[in-house]
Amino acid sequence: MLRQVRLRALLGAVVLWLGLALASVACGAPASTQAPVSNATAPATIRLAVNEVPEELATFQSIVNAFEQANLNIKVKLENIPDDDEFTKKLAADIAAQTPPDVFLMNYRRIGPFALKGALQSVDKYLNTSQVIQPGDFYPMALDAYKLKGELQCVPLNLSQLGVYYNAKLFQAAGVPLPKNDWTWNDFLAAARALTQDTNGDGKPDQYGAGISTLTIRLMPFVWAHGGDIVDNPERPTSLTLDKGAALEAFQWFVALQTKEHVVPDKTAEATQSSQARFEAGTLAMFFQSRVLTPELRETVKDKFVWDIAPLPQDKNRATILHSDGFCITNGSKNKDAAWKLVEYIAGPQGQTALAKVGRNMPALQAVANSPAFLKSNPPANNQVYLDMAPYVRPVPLMTTWLEVESAVNKEIKRAFYGDASVEEAAQAAVETTREYFKQNLADLGSP
Amino acid sequence: MEIKERQAMLQFSLRFSRALFSYRAQLWFFLLPFLIGTAVLIVMPMTATFFLGLTDYDLFSPPEWNDFQNYQNWLGDRLFQRALYNSVWFMLIAVPLRVAGALVLALFLNRSGRAFGFARATVYLPTIVPEVAYALVWLLILNPGFGAVNLLLDALHLPTVAWTLVPFTARASIVVMWLFQLGEGFVLMLAALQLIPHELLEAAAIDGANRVQRFRHIILPFMVPALLLLTFRDIALSFQGVFVAGILTTETGPYYTTYFMPHYVVDEAFALFRYGYASATTSLIYLVTLLTVIGLFVLVGRRRDDGVE
Repeated sequence: MLRQVRLRALLGAVVLWLGLALASVACGAPASTQAPVSNATAPATIRLAVNEVPEELATFQSIVNAFEQANLNIKVKLENIPDDDEFTKKLAADIAAQTPPDVFLMNYRRIGPFALKGALQSVDKYLNTSQVIQPGDFYPMALDAYKLKGELQCVPLNLSQLGVYYNAKLFQAAGVPLPKNDWTWNDFLAAARALTQDTNGDGKPDQYGAGISTLTIRLMPFVWAHGGDIVDNPERPTSLTLDKGAALEAFQWFVALQTKEHVVPDKTAEATQSSQARFEAGTLAMFFQSRVLTPELRETVKDKFVWDIAPLPQDKNRATILHSDGFCITNGSKNKDAAWKLVEYIAGPQGQTALAKVGRNMPALQAVANSPAFLKSNPPANNQVYLDMAPYVRPVPLMTTWLEVESAVNKEIKRAFYGDASVEEAAQAAVETTREYFKQNLADLGSP
Repeated sequence: MEIKERQAMLQFSLRFSRALFSYRAQLWFFLLPFLIGTAVLIVMPMTATFFLGLTDYDLFSPPEWNDFQNYQNWLGDRLFQRALYNSVWFMLIAVPLRVAGALVLALFLNRSGRAFGFARATVYLPTIVPEVAYALVWLLILNPGFGAVNLLLDALHLPTVAWTLVPFTARASIVVMWLFQLGEGFVLMLAALQLIPHELLEAAAIDGANRVQRFRHIILPFMVPALLLLTFRDIALSFQGVFVAGILTTETGPYYTTYFMPHYVVDEAFALFRYGYASATTSLIYLVTLLTVIGLFVLVGRRRDDGVE
């Protein structure tokens, strides 16, 4: 008897807990019963996901505020995750849970899987009928980077590109002429040699001529400039081609900057203080980075020294690599019309002008790029460099597995660059380890 | 009649309330949130992971069964093999060191006195530093140019090493970083030591047992359950605990030497969107952990049967 009563008490407790659990579930439920708002003129709240550092987040917030002023019935929730990988993870998880943000900003190198799995709303029909922006307003290269299977997946915010930030004070002190717009690999190397100096006579340089990250996206423009390519067919790549011909030669030249010329910090020096930190401290003369570094340099360098931007040195060709972010609308958005309104505002003249002024972007809109908002956004003084280089900007191949290719090749470049493997060995390993990713990309894309 | 009924009711409700507040009922009542938590947060995700591991799933479209294809993929996947090798290497080296470290420190510091209290707090402190901060502090400690370790070596006129840049020392650095976070195991060991009846140790001392003999025949047998518990826990943790350090302190390098299973799983799941495959690999981590624990359990169990008891 007692045992039965105990059992009953236990059951009672279970029921109580379940009841509480159900109640809490029930309280959370009503949200899903609301009818989706599809009409942009009806009041709507949309979510915009970005990954920005705090200074630029403030600019985004002010653009969003201005947008809300102009569209009183649309509220925008700005969500920030300031890390590329975390951002991608969160976005994928949100899409899987069918609670995606309406609009997000993402680098074109990362959109492949999202576009191919149908997570994005193609924006052709919106852009073609927009009163605010037309396809012809953009640099064609910027738009092309977001086209997959013939459809425009996102609207580009910028046409930023890799360039050479240089410290004019160090050039003058060493009596080295400042970089010209048509300088060559040899000019660059001569400058780098002259600017690498051992000032305290301990046998190790205290000032370096150059600094460059050992990344695939840093090596690629050198391969292009030398007349090669990193993949066999950029439209539909089936293999890496870093181990042959012009690509291999460019790879060798790139690696020799460290192993033979010693004009960049070696492995230990780089781990002690990064090239970027050295540039900001004024002990490294030329640093390779995209426009994204500009707002930070304005903060950290201030008036310690004069710095400016030069194009990448040229070899057989002129070439640089595209660094671009675009605004994408998710397929799961319940307010696509309102989402587009936000996109055409923030990727339109108002948004691009505001972001050009803080220095983050070279705008993807030709009119804004040619306006004082960008050209007078100094330092760097020579913003014209970016406009001159625009015709020579090339994108990475759009592949679903591109980031994995990059990650594997990065490891091989690093190994060769710091002398832990020969260039040939690293190139061969890069081709081997990425084979599987090319195979999967072709499987993902299906028949042409 | 009415009175009888009322009495019966009263008696029933008395019994009911007695039963409701009985020790056993209370036990279940307080246990229940944890049981539900375990079911919802551990057992259910584990089961889901296992089944997702049998599918093709990219997070965007519904999962599809794929006839154990994920398990076959392991055979040709060199990145997976590297990560598995690194993680097993780490487990085999780091777990015994950390358990032994916790035990030895507990033996030395299980004394009263202000200095020992301070020393115990010092041993515990690194454990409560948030993971990211901990990894960044070590990045400074191990910096080849101005890191504390190399400055010290330099002052002693000893050769310095670029710790995070040499394959062996990079991996060893991750082990050492993990060793310093033995605080929880240390507390467990202290508690277990203090549970050993003092009379036994005193009697053994009077009978002429020296320190080593007392440790071997009294302390160690008493500590076996706690040691086993700690070892199992550290084996499970060794597969996850290297994630942040591997990314921030060594950047999974040089050249894959500190690329561990959690890095691989995250890359597969969230960069390549091969969620099914990543789930299968996670299941494999569970399995390796479980087999190691069972193996150890059997081994120690057999030894104990042969023993003095």
